[in-house]
Amino acid sequence: MDLTLSPSEREFRDEVRGWIEAHHPGREPAGDHEQFEFRRAWQRSLNERGWAGLSWPTDYGGAGATLVEQAIFYEEVARAGAPQMANVLGLAMGGPTVIAHGDEAQKQRYLPPILSADEIWCQGFSEPDSGSDLASLKTRAVRSGDEWIVTGQKVWTTFAHQAKWCMLVARTDPDAAKHRGLTYFLMDMEQDGVEVRPLVQITGEAEFNELFIEEARIPHANIVGGEGNGWPVAITTLMHERAGLAFALQVEVQIALRELQEEIRAAGRADDPLIRQRFAQLYVEAQVLRLNAYRGLTATMKRGAPGPEGSLGKWHWAEVNQGLTELAMDVAGPRAQLGDGTWTYRFLRARANSIEGGTTEILKNIVAERVLGLPRG
Amino acid sequence: MNFDLSDDQRTIKTTARELLAARFPLAEVRRLAFEDERGFTDAQWGEMVELGWPEIAAIGTVELIVVAEELGYAVAPTPLQSTWAAGLLLGEPLAGGRRGAVVMDGLSADAGGADVLVDWDGAVLTGASVEPVRALDPTRRLFRVSGGEREPLAGDVSRGRLQATVMNAAESVGVAERALEMAVAYAKERKQFGRAIGSYQAVSHACAQMLLEVEGARSAVYWAAWALDHEPGEAALAAACAKAYAGDCGRRVTRAALQVHGGIGFTWEHDLQFFIKRGEANAHAYGEGVAHRERIAALAGL
Repeated sequence: MDLTLSPSEREFRDEVRGWIEAHHPGREPAGDHEQFEFRRAWQRSLNERGWAGLSWPTDYGGAGATLVEQAIFYEEVARAGAPQMANVLGLAMGGPTVIAHGDEAQKQRYLPPILSADEIWCQGFSEPDSGSDLASLKTRAVRSGDEWIVTGQKVWTTFAHQAKWCMLVARTDPDAAKHRGLTYFLMDMEQDGVEVRPLVQITGEAEFNELFIEEARIPHANIVGGEGNGWPVAITTLMHERAGLAFALQVEVQIALRELQEEIRAAGRADDPLIRQRFAQLYVEAQVLRLNAYRGLTATMKRGAPGPEGSLGKWHWAEVNQGLTELAMDVAGPRAQLGDGTWTYRFLRARANSIEGGTTEILKNIVAERVLGLPRG
Repeated sequence: MNFDLSDDQRTIKTTARELLAARFPLAEVRRLAFEDERGFTDAQWGEMVELGWPEIAAIGTVELIVVAEELGYAVAPTPLQSTWAAGLLLGEPLAGGRRGAVVMDGLSADAGGADVLVDWDGAVLTGASVEPVRALDPTRRLFRVSGGEREPLAGDVSRGRLQATVMNAAESVGVAERALEMAVAYAKERKQFGRAIGSYQAVSHACAQMLLEVEGARSAVYWAAWALDHEPGEAALAAACAKAYAGDCGRRVTRAALQVHGGIGFTWEHDLQFFIKRGEANAHAYGEGVAHRERIAALAGL
């Protein structure tokens, strides 16, 4: 057991830390378009250093970083308060899926513009009637010569208004069993059959969109992983979503905890024993989140692939992050009734944590069935 | 970065699990708890001494907590943990089969017949009155200790205290892990309304929650044990985190396991009682969660 970084890992950390310090673009500008261009510039800068596709193989323009190096990198990014990259979904989900299931022509065509953020990606999985039960989705694709004609509706599509490509899962065989009749397409968003409408959430922002698809056209060559094979390909995408973000999230929790500590002191509540107990409990939970992430990393490196235990981290993180914002609201006291505080925003935004990227209930099902071996309900 | 047991540590763990399973099947735990006055046999203690277990902390704190966790998993009645705790405060393990006990708040586990009594404040007690009391946990003999001569220890007891605290936290991890296993096995086998009860989400989600807490407690305990040997600057904070989280884990998980078992888990004849009692008792020994959380807040700078 060794919880310290090896000399080479420490060297990598220092290199990342120094580089981010030198290239940090400062505070994000306001406005959707300005923010997007700011993040795009940041990604291009990282890509020049070879770090945009950190986990990708070097053959495809990535850095081929080890899992520990990825963890170090995300920790440093979070610690420095550096911006997100513009093409998060392409980098974390689309690219890895094409690398795992795509053919050589697809890899040559799609991967470079993901890295350079010339082509932004979005994810068309969830539908109004298919959330947790994703495989029940109804968006239909019908073959017509060398093309597929797609009709349906998608929801919660982040970055849809900026995206060139959509990872679209559609039903290509209505007669097959529900998991078997799906196909994974790359759909060009720049066509008449695709309409994007912003979806305003309880915070007042619109991070997400609805997608209305009316006879959109997708070339047959844009299928990833073969016709009727959409479910396992989609699972690859989701596994990458859960594995990659864990480290950044746990560091963000540590930072939020320090801010909360300041808030408690500023509000004159540092001597309140109830507040101290709740703060300490969150402190412990945040440590456990960090330690579990590292244990998972060691296990993954020994086993070669992330296991279903990753589901524990996502659900635990949601609990801790929600708990943090709830304590902050209590610390604020009557002031928490005001609508303009940072913590008020964070409190509202955190309500989605236990829903987005797999609801806590679905994650508990996964743990119960695949880790504990309990029978399916 | 390698957050896992080494091969040697893993060997210690599997050896301990196999040996304890052979020596302390739950029928033997029950016999020792309810029928044996001392609560352990000379043969059992002698074997542990022969294996060098009383002195295992000399190898490292991680090795110590690995065996402590297995003692909890087996819910083994033995004066080993008390002997460890006394040795940790003394700064030297008790060798040659000598047994020790630690006195906290006037109470002491395994003080009856102990060769050395050490007060948690850092003093050796001689000539104290040692009276048996009825304990919540029937697998651990408890005594009320009063009076006697106090001879303050020369050395600093703070590291020993942290080690003993983390040792107790590790035991709670083992207790909780076993209770979770029992709950999962029962949820697979018990049928109601024609289905295994583990297929109902009210039950399966409770089991998933138990796993989250067991794995979290294990991470915290490993961290604290590692810090005690390699990162002394963070050891006090890590130990408080480990005890606060694992202490709660030991009782929350055993309570949930009882709920999964339903009525059978509430009966005297069911072995779950040993785990729920050890888990609850541990949460109140070596500092309660409330006290450790207060330390955490202070050490974190609040």
